[in-house]
This record gives sequence, structure tokens and C-alpha cells, in this order.
Amino acid sequence: MTLALVFLIFGLLGAVMVSMNALLGPKKTNPVKEQPFECGSPPLQKGIPGFVIKFPLVVFLFVLFDIEVAFLFPWALIFREMKGPAFLILLAYAAVLAAGFVYAWRKGAFRWD
Amino acid sequence: MNGFAALAPLLFLVGGAILVLLLGTRRNGGTNSVQAAVSIAAIAAAGFSAARLWGRAVRAFGGQLRFDEAALFMTFLFLLAAAMAVLLGMRYLVRHAMPRGEYYGLLLLAACGLVIMTATINLLIVFLGLEVFSVSAYALSGLNRRDDRSAEAAAKYFLIGSFASAFVIFGLALLFGTRGSLDVHQLALPETGGSSALALTGLALVVSGLAFKIALVPFHMYQPDVYEGAPTPVAAFFAAAPKAAGFLVLLRILVPHFQTGIRNEAIIEFLSAVAVATMILGNFAALRQRNLKRILAYSSIAHAGYMLIAVISGDPAGLLFYLANYLFMGVGAFAAVIALGGPGREILDLDEFAGVGRRYPWIGGIFTVLLLSMAGFPPTGGFLAKFYVFSTAVRAGHLGLAIVGVLTSLVSVYYYLRIVRIMFMKEPERELDVDTENPAVYLVLFLCLYAVLQLGLFPGNIITLIRQATASL
Repeated sequence: MTLALVFLIFGLLGAVMVSMNALLGPKKTNPVKEQPFECGSPPLQKGIPGFVIKFPLVVFLFVLFDIEVAFLFPWALIFREMKGPAFLILLAYAAVLAAGFVYAWRKGAFRWD
Repeated sequence: MNGFAALAPLLFLVGGAILVLLLGTRRNGGTNSVQAAVSIAAIAAAGFSAARLWGRAVRAFGGQLRFDEAALFMTFLFLLAAAMAVLLGMRYLVRHAMPRGEYYGLLLLAACGLVIMTATINLLIVFLGLEVFSVSAYALSGLNRRDDRSAEAAAKYFLIGSFASAFVIFGLALLFGTRGSLDVHQLALPETGGSSALALTGLALVVSGLAFKIALVPFHMYQPDVYEGAPTPVAAFFAAAPKAAGFLVLLRILVPHFQTGIRNEAIIEFLSAVAVATMILGNFAALRQRNLKRILAYSSIAHAGYMLIAVISGDPAGLLFYLANYLFMGVGAFAAVIALGGPGREILDLDEFAGVGRRYPWIGGIFTVLLLSMAGFPPTGGFLAKFYVFSTAVRAGHLGLAIVGVLTSLVSVYYYLRIVRIMFMKEPERELDVDTENPAVYLVLFLCLYAVLQLGLFPGNIITLIRQATASL
């Protein structure tokens, strides 16, 4: 019984919210806004255009640095106990990351053209 | 600070690698000798800090990283191999227009991975070191990007190496599931209950993964292609260093088993079959090759078979002595190949070597001594190494293995001496264009010649070191 009531209340609430938005909200539309969202590429196109070969390199670097940042979370957990040494260790870690970043930069990995 | 002392060799290697990589991005291309000097300095610093650890049994990271004497002995071998590979690369990289900073940097990182692999008794840390080495090694073998065979070598090595890594990690999962630990001393505790078969499967998978790295016979097929395609200084490094690391890990895993005697028969029978297959196939396949790098590749497979006999007969000292010998023979032989290379082109086909020995008597002579050492002729270290291995095998009751070893060594004499015969006794069809301005390579050649003779004539000092190293296993 209570379950039915809960469904009724929240169902009504949801319906009100959706319809209120349609009734009261401002309606300013344009063709771009009406299109389905497709991660930045046009939703309809003829064939698949070649994608830039630089893209995998950028993705690769992103994944690399992204994963390395994930190691900061366990570090943050033990920082409370270790304090000074933990900070030094992080600095060393960041220095290695920075060296990798400088290397990729100097090698022109971020140059798009 | 005890922990940092244990880390020092690794820190020097990694620091040197990063420095060299960054130096390599500078625009003026004339920094080759600077990069080589920085690499050699990093290796020397790592060697010095490793030497200070001798006899102190230093540990770091709660005992996970432990430099016992066996690990330190291997560290010296890896550092020597890396230093010689740096010297071999100096001129070769320029000659073949290869990226230099990456070569030295990856070489140092590969050496670092091998050091991690040997300086632990936890198999998970071994795996970590194995991956650090492997990832660098894949890139190193594909470093000559203009050469299709180099790319092929990298692709093959990467695929097969990934399989090997998967084998190891699956075996580790089974071992951890049945034993609750990956410490090598825990793995050999007496078996209870029905988990024995599962643990043995896990052990077999881990050993197979190591056999890939050592290139024992059912898992050897990538080795000749990788040696042929990879840049020759890289092949020189591969010939000695990863095999040594794989063998030490194998020894660490198996020695507790041999001491307790559990599943001893099964393990020994399996390894004996592998050793016999490795010796026979390695030596007989080398007979048919015409490419010098492929001959050396098959010969290194055959030598892995002899070294496996030392493992089977429970003879760590013999194994370490053989590894030390093979380091100089293997690197030296590839150094001779580099020394005889022309500008922009390597000379690899056997027939092209006709008469080279008489035109370049020093290179030809040293190459001959190294080949005689590989074949096991008396005044050299190769003879003594084989003698120790085979005599211990006979004393341990593995007479059959020793007989196969001696017979296949006789077969190997044919293809080693064929190279010598072509170099000295065949008339050249046309003059070779050899690039003789290569002092760093000559340094490596003379070092290898000295080491092979020293190990063959006066092995006393190094045997004392090896005794101390094996006592720590």
C-alpha cells in the first residue's frame, strides 16, 4: 500500500515537473539545438571521413597521465599519517610526470598541424 | 635511510634514463657522446652504489626489494651488459640514423627492470620487473623505424611477450589462490589436500612464462626473428641480460622445491625434456643458417639449454659462472658483427665475410677466440663453464643430460668453426666496405676478449664472488 503511494506521489511530482517546464519555460529554438547530440560530430553524414592520425597520440597521452593521476588518491589517504616524507615522495613522482610531459612536448606530440 | 640505500642503484638508473631522454629532445643533434657519457655515468653510479650493498643484505619496502648477494651479482652483469650496449650503440645509431636519446634511455630502463626482477623473492615484484623490462625491450627492438624487419621484430616480440606475461600472471593467480602467498619460500611448503594439482599448474605456467624470456625450446621461435630484426647493439643486450634474469628467477623458484623434495620428480623430468629439446634444436637449427645474427640467436638458444642443466642438477654456482661467461661471449660476438659492419649497411650473410679475418686480423682474431669459447675450447671461459656444468650434472646423477650436452657441443663446433673458416680461408669475391672508425666497439671487443681469457685461465676471484652469491640464495 505504502509502495503504491510512493509511486503515485513521485510519479505525479515527475509529471508536474516535466509539464511545468513545457508550459512555463521560455521557448527559444534553433536548428542546431533541435539536432540529436552526437559528441560533436554531425549526426548525419555520407560515409566515414578519415580521422586525424594525431588523435590516437593525444588519447594515448591522456590515458597515460590520467592513470598516473589516479595514484594520487591512495596517496591522499596516507598523507595524514606520513606528512613530510609523503610530500617529498609526491614531489619526486610529480617530477617524473613533469619530465614525461616535457619529453612529449619537446617531441612535438601536442602539435596538431 | 636503509631503504634509500637499497633503492640507490634503481634511482641512478631511472634518473639517468630520464635525463638522457630529455637531452635527446634538444634540437642540436651533436649530443650523442654527451648522452652516452651520461648513460655510462648513471650505470657506473648504479654499479658503485650496488657494490656498497654487498654483504649487507639490505632491504626496502618492507622486505619486498632485497639485494642479497645473488641479486647484486646479477645486477653487475646487467650493468656491464648495458654499459657495453651503450658503447656498441654510439656509432651504430649515427650510422643507421636511429633515435639516440630513446635508445640510451630505454636501455637504462630495461636494465632497471631486470634489476627489480632479480632483487626480490616475491613473484609479483618479479612480474613488475619483467614488465618494466619487456615494455622497454619491445620499443628497443623496433627502434630502427626505417627498417621493416625491425618493425617485424618489435611486433613479434610484443605479441609473444604479451602471451608470456599472461602465462605468468595466470600462473601467479593460481599459486596465490592455492598457497595464499607469492613469496618463493612459501610456495614450496609441504602440500596438503587437493590443491596440489592446481598449484603445480600455476608453477608450470610461471615457469613457461620465464621460459619465453629465456627462450627455451617450445617457446623459442620468436628469438631468431627478434635478433635478426632488432638493431645489433640491442640484440647484444638481449643475448645476455634477460636470460640471466630469467634463470635467476627460475633458480629462486626451484631451489626450495629441490630442498624439500616435493614434486621433485615431476619438475626435474619436465625440465630435463625441455633442456634436451633446447640443446638439440638450438644447435641443429644453427647448422642451416646463413645469416650471422640468426646463427648467434640459435647458438644463444643452445646455450640456454646448457644453463638449464645447471638448474636441474641444483648447481647455482655453475649457472652463475656460465651466465657471466655467456655475457661476454654473447655481447662480444655481436660486437664483432657491429665492428665488421659497413657505413649504413650491416654485413650479415656468411659468404660476405670471406677473407675478412685476414684484412682485419684483430677483429677476426677476437671474434675467433669468442667463437672458440662458445664452442667450449680449453683455454677460454666457455670451456670451464661447460666443464663445471657437465661434471656437476654427472655427479648429481643426470648422466644422460651431460651426454646430450657434450654431443650437441660437438655439433656446435661445426657451425662456429665454419664462420672462422670463411673469415680466414675463403677468398673474398669483392672488397667489403667496413667502417673502421669505431673505437667504442673495439673497447668492448677487447674487454670481452680479456674477460673470456681471464675467466678461462684465472677464474679464482670470480668464483669466490659466486660462492658468496650462491650462499645467499
